[in-house]
Amino acid sequence: MLQIEAVRKEFTGGAVPVVALAAVDLAIERGEFVTLVGPSGCGKSSLLTLISGLSAPSSGHIRIAGRNIAGTDRDVGFITQQDNLFPWRTLVDNVALSLELAGVPAAARRREADRWIKRVGLDGFEQAYPHQLSGGMRQRANIIRTLIYEPSVILMDEPFGPLDAQTRLSLQALLLSIWESQRSTVLFVTHDLTEAIALADWVVLMSARPGRIVRVDRVDIPRPRDIFHIHDLPEFRRLYDALWRDLPAQVDDFRRHA
Amino acid sequence: MTSVDTPDQPTIAAGAPVAPPRAARAPRAPAPWFSPENGASVQLSRILFALMFLAAWEFGADRLFDSFFFSTPLRILAQVARELLDPGFYRDLGVTALEMGVGFTVGAGSGIGLGVLLARWEYVAKVLDPFLLALYSIPRIALAPMLIVWFGIGYSSKIFLGATLVFFITFFNTLSGIRSVDKALCDVARVMKATEWQVFRKVMLPSASSWILTSVKISLPFALVGVILGEFLVSSQGLGYRLNRYSTSYNITGALAIVFLMMTIMLMLTAITNAVEARVLRWRPQSSAERVAQT
Repeated sequence: MLQIEAVRKEFTGGAVPVVALAAVDLAIERGEFVTLVGPSGCGKSSLLTLISGLSAPSSGHIRIAGRNIAGTDRDVGFITQQDNLFPWRTLVDNVALSLELAGVPAAARRREADRWIKRVGLDGFEQAYPHQLSGGMRQRANIIRTLIYEPSVILMDEPFGPLDAQTRLSLQALLLSIWESQRSTVLFVTHDLTEAIALADWVVLMSARPGRIVRVDRVDIPRPRDIFHIHDLPEFRRLYDALWRDLPAQVDDFRRHA
Repeated sequence: MTSVDTPDQPTIAAGAPVAPPRAARAPRAPAPWFSPENGASVQLSRILFALMFLAAWEFGADRLFDSFFFSTPLRILAQVARELLDPGFYRDLGVTALEMGVGFTVGAGSGIGLGVLLARWEYVAKVLDPFLLALYSIPRIALAPMLIVWFGIGYSSKIFLGATLVFFITFFNTLSGIRSVDKALCDVARVMKATEWQVFRKVMLPSASSWILTSVKISLPFALVGVILGEFLVSSQGLGYRLNRYSTSYNITGALAIVFLMMTIMLMLTAITNAVEARVLRWRPQSSAERVAQT
């Protein structure tokens, strides 16, 4: 479904060229939920930006359903850490943005937006402006703003990063319940190992800059999962410990080179 | 980030009872009398201040200073009433309003238009940058006598003078407004495969709207300044001409009455632009400074 082959990304704008990604290879099957962890600055976000089509790799190929990507594509949705809601739009107009851009008539996009707003429990706030909503509510809006146009690949860049622990857990559970009915292909970046294991079919560990893939682990925890008690499972502990052993090595390595 | 009016629901149940926004605001404790938050007190103090000022003026006349030079509030008030009954005043008002309206529209239209154009066309903006700054640095007032020569003594010289003052304010603000648009917001639309035209119309323009509206609001009085100045120099009609005629004949009461009427007109225009701004920018979180200013 999503194939990343020998992708390399250099940033040459600064005084010293920076290699963000060095030869990344990754293949993700349709409907898989993959989380990407690694030390900060390892190029996780750069990789998502490349897949989104907002910038192009220095070399290598990214293919979606066999097609090379060239620029942005409605097959790929991108949910960022900052909610980036448009402050001048009401919640419902923010959620319906993609439909508006595609020329969907007002009544139809309103209906669709209302459905999604209800689904994530934001009904009653349709006419609220972003500054009137809490961080958790805004992030829910940010997520459904992408889900509403049903891209087959969804990129998520630490979407729950800025939230408090409780809101984070409830949004993880919400995301899983939506994904289980939708089964889009998800590539989810996080620096939280617990989150990475709890959500994913596969956990991909990246090295410090320049980013490479160090290990890929399958998460053998059946779905639907109970996100609130998943930490008690032996599979969870085993994988957590294994990843945690490798992650600090990458962090130290990064510090030495920085 | 900072909103605490609507706390997040910890549960995710779709049917959970949720308060509509803004509905549940804790009742505020009454502010102490001499607090800037206390609207009634501020209002009353304002009226007191105005009355004291006017009383000092009225009673100081011909005791502390010569009323020939400074007139008195009551005489000015009577003159204002006479002006309002004089058809000649409305003729002059009409002329000035026309010049100001056209000057403002032309100035703001071209300022916003060129601002948008150059914001989209960074190369040309960079080339023109020093020239625009140089033009901006000319005291426009200094051009006034030449404008009369170039545009004649009719409407167009006054319109042009008003328009140039408005142009630079709206132009620089529009340019900065569009340049300061958050790139991340543009990317949101681009990921959804928006065309560049859609990015401009749905992201850049609304995002810059607060800058543009502010510049429109600030520049409006300058349209009047330019027009009045033009009328001072050469004209046979308009409020500036009327004011000039009074003051050159040492009719201070008449001149101050016209100044008072100009001030009133400007205040009304500002109230209208404020209302438009509040309506268009209702999505903006209101700062506490603005709340105080509106009480």
